[in-house]
Amino acid sequence: MLSVSMEEDEFFGEKTFQRFCAEFIKHSRQIGDGWEWRTSKDCSEGYMCKTYFQIKPGTVVSHLGTSAHVQTCLPTEEALELPLDDFEVTETTTGSEVIKYEYHVLYSCSYQVPVLYFRASFLDGRPLALKDIWEGIHECYKTQMLQEPWDTITQQEHPILGQPFFVLHPCKTNEFMTPVLKNSQKINRSINYITSWLSVVGPVVGLNLPLSYARTASQDE
Amino acid sequence: MDVVPKKPNPPYGPKDVQLEDLEGQRKNFSFPVAFDIEHSGGSVGNGLEEGQIGGPKPGHYPIGLLFDLLASSSALPWNITVHFKSFPEKDLLHCPSKDAIEAHFMSCVKEADALKHKSQVINEMQKKDHKQLWMGLQNDRFDQFWAINRKLMEYPAEENGFRFIPFRIYQTTTERPFIQKLFRPVAADGQLHTLGDLLKEVCPSAVAPEDGEKKNQVMIHGIEPMLETPLQWLSEHLSYPDNFLHISIIPQPTD
Repeated sequence: MLSVSMEEDEFFGEKTFQRFCAEFIKHSRQIGDGWEWRTSKDCSEGYMCKTYFQIKPGTVVSHLGTSAHVQTCLPTEEALELPLDDFEVTETTTGSEVIKYEYHVLYSCSYQVPVLYFRASFLDGRPLALKDIWEGIHECYKTQMLQEPWDTITQQEHPILGQPFFVLHPCKTNEFMTPVLKNSQKINRSINYITSWLSVVGPVVGLNLPLSYARTASQDE
Repeated sequence: MDVVPKKPNPPYGPKDVQLEDLEGQRKNFSFPVAFDIEHSGGSVGNGLEEGQIGGPKPGHYPIGLLFDLLASSSALPWNITVHFKSFPEKDLLHCPSKDAIEAHFMSCVKEADALKHKSQVINEMQKKDHKQLWMGLQNDRFDQFWAINRKLMEYPAEENGFRFIPFRIYQTTTERPFIQKLFRPVAADGQLHTLGDLLKEVCPSAVAPEDGEKKNQVMIHGIEPMLETPLQWLSEHLSYPDNFLHISIIPQPTD
């Protein structure tokens, strides 16, 4: 496990980013948390990516409904291929829709930190507006989001895919990560930058990390 | 990697808009609607495929950049077709309000300063200075804009330039929206890096080989700067209002 160098110029370079991501994904695979690594077409860059599906209850549905025994959080797209007789294809269904959430962790060379991109859409591709995404987030984070100045969200082009994503602006990341890194050096305990950073910013936008990530980060030396 | 192809927008209630005095409008951001670029009277025969010209184009890109990238061989005024319905939400940034455009502009300015000055200059400014930058651009007030922008163009006396140069290189032939990398304006030996140096490093396919034929035009603000031009100079003088050098690589016209 790599200790983060505090040298000014290479605070958190792209190679360091990729190393931390690789370790993060290794643990994700062990617990089935769904994170994957993707590369750009020319393979010069890569990013972490997680997709999950959630049933959004109580909305008016035009054509797709699911029966009651479906789990509320489906891990893969394949799991949606339920047997036909489980579907009710009428106006008057249980009234739930499936939302697809996507989270991408990219490296910003401008700010030399990781950046969280996210978006949500219905299965037919219609994107959710930011305010609809907020409805799915726990109340306590909503207040935090409104208070904390570093939680600025803008819509930007994904630098590799070119499509619109919401982005948690990275300009304040150094501010809250520096004390974390300084402390880890002080107590001589190495951490995974990605794990620490994502555990802070993720929940604000509906992404939660199981605690086992933290235990892994401090175990691997 | 899944890349959703940009589907052309069905023309539904199109309005032809003539952009007069394009040069004067060059640095402005286009209005927040999607538009299909349908050439009326311009040739498509410079190597770009129909599918790449048709289809929705990002309205948050500076209009001058879009012109260089897509229509530089067209006569002025540039005829474009504007669609006011069926916005392609999945493919393009929606700019629902002027505030959203301002936020996007300011986030570009901040990113440029992160590259040039580790955000020191922009962070030292007050909120009213940021506002003045935006208002100067919005109201086309050169002096108002540059009163603040000149601070973003300064660098310490002991250095020869910015820390890194804010630039983005656009090509219609690639899937990714643009190339952006870390690049210093000054080499280790103190020599100023040129535009040619930048291209050789980050986009070598754009530069013709030593004795080869010139295949591409490298365009900024509708002109082709000499490849020997120092990058630091280009950044100070030819950046767009968002402080980025937006560079278009387009195929050399065949005529």
